[in-house]
Order: sequence, then structure tokens, then C-alpha cells
Amino acid sequence: MSADEFDPDIERLFARSPHMSDAGLFTARVEQRLQKGSHVRVLALSLAGLVGGIVAVRETLTVNIGVGDSVGSGVALGQGLRSASLNTQGVVQAGLDQFGLANLELGSMGGMQLFWIAAGALIAVAAAGVMKLSQDI
Amino acid sequence: MTHPLVDRHDVELAALAAAGGRREFGELVRRHGSAVRGLLRRMGAQPSLADDIAQDAFIQAFERCAEFRGDGTFAAWVKRIAARLYIKRVAKEARYIAEVGTEEVAPATDHAGRVDLDEALKALSEVERLCVSLCHGAGMAHPEIATALNLPLGTVKSHVKRGLDKLRARLQPAGQSLGSAQHVG
Repeated sequence: MSADEFDPDIERLFARSPHMSDAGLFTARVEQRLQKGSHVRVLALSLAGLVGGIVAVRETLTVNIGVGDSVGSGVALGQGLRSASLNTQGVVQAGLDQFGLANLELGSMGGMQLFWIAAGALIAVAAAGVMKLSQDI
Repeated sequence: MTHPLVDRHDVELAALAAAGGRREFGELVRRHGSAVRGLLRRMGAQPSLADDIAQDAFIQAFERCAEFRGDGTFAAWVKRIAARLYIKRVAKEARYIAEVGTEEVAPATDHAGRVDLDEALKALSEVERLCVSLCHGAGMAHPEIATALNLPLGTVKSHVKRGLDKLRARLQPAGQSLGSAQHVG
């Protein structure tokens, strides 16, 4: 504020807070809203985790493991994993191409290697989510 | 050893609130809630609207608590957030742009003929009241107010000057100093 704007008397009057008889009620309302917001966030994160989990389980089940067909089940599982791995590999490779990393051949990595990298990344994201959630609670 | 919340400084409480401490933030609301609500009312907001905006301002302050570095006071920081929220609201309603038609109201006085600030502010036009409150209540500089209200700088300056002249005239009965005219709430 420049010197010509400054009026100490007016400043002093503005600095005095008016007395509010319902100050306690106001504080309680703000605290209630904070609490509610926190609950909504926890609920949203839990719901997102649940939906993610359901999608993951559904995807795993569509691999077509033939329960009861013990001979075919191992083969089907192997084919399913290989197919999923190839799909993931294709998507990730396309992403790498966009960032000019086309020379990095994911195909040279084993399916299990890719699986563990993806699993590690997912676990890290989940751990970060849990930490944030625990801070909120 | 843990200190009770009432003994802690605002900066300390804000740091704890930034880490998710809702109880600590509640103490800050208890300390400064009335000041923020009072400012909004002085800016021209109706009591219920002032309370709603003050609540929104505190919620926003909680979410942005990590940004508060303690350069100014916590109250001043929240007041600015609240003032900006109120400006957004009135801009949406395009109220303060219409400067005509605001009648001056004679402020109520006590037995000694004194008026308090809140009463004296009623004598100002809506836009004068807003500019004076933003300048002296929320601590905003003239260029900042001009940008926020989307008004020319010269217009803001004259609104503040005219508003202050009216306030002085209302607040200073003959033979009394300005400071003694206000009741402490």
C-alpha cells in the first residue's frame, strides 16, 4: 500500500474483528465440512480401488482357465499370459516410440520381466495411495 | 511435551494443518473466523452469504495451507482468499459494475452521536465500500483491486478516496478523535 493510501485510523478500525455471537457454530460448521470432505475422499479412493480390483479380477478370469480340464488349463493360462504380455508390450512400445525411445526393444525382455516391472509400478502406486489415505485419516 | 492448541502460534498451527491436522486448523478458524466474516460483511455481503464464502475460504485455505509461508499474518492470508471469492461471486452477478442507483443511508448513531465502522460503511456506495474494504480490510493494493474488479486504476483510486472521505466524515463527530469512535467488539 502506498503512502497516500495509508490511513492509520481507518486501518485500526478495520483491524478490529467484530464480535460474532455464533462464532462457535461457524467453527463447528467448517470443521464438519472438512470432516465430510475427508470422508468423501476416502470413499472415492476406496471405490476406485474396488473398481480397479474388480476389473483386474475380471481380466484375469477372461484368460479362460478351464477348471476341471487339468491338461488344457496350463496351456490356456500360458497362452493367456503370453497374449496379455504381448498386448501390454505393444502399448508400452508405442508409448516409448512417441518419446523417441524406439530403439529400446521391449521384445528383448522376457514376458515375466515385463510382468514384474508392471507389477512393481502398480504396487508403488498403490503404496503411495495408501500412505496418502493414512495421512488423511 | 505437547502444547495445548491455544498456546501455539498461527504459523505453527498452519504447518500442522498443512500436514493434515484438522484440529489445528479448527483452532485457526476459531481465532480468525469472525475477522473473515466481518470483512465480507463490510465488503457488502449479506450475513448468510458472508458466512458461506468465509466457510469456502477456510476450506480452500486448509487445502492450500502448505502455500502459507508466514510472510504475513494467517488472518490476512485467509482474508485475501475470502475477498477474491467474494469478488468472483459479485462479478458473476455483475453487481458492482452498476454503480448508479445506490442511495446513501444515514448511519445509526449511539447516544453520543458516534457511529461505528460497520454503520459508517453503509453510507458508501456499493463499489466505494468494496474498494475501501479491499484496500484497508483485505490489504490489497490499488492495482490489485483494479485487476480483480476489472476497473480502471484511476476509478479504483477515486472510489477509495471518496469512500475514505465519507468514512472520516461519518466517523469523526466534532471534537472527537477517529480512534475513540469505534466500539471494540
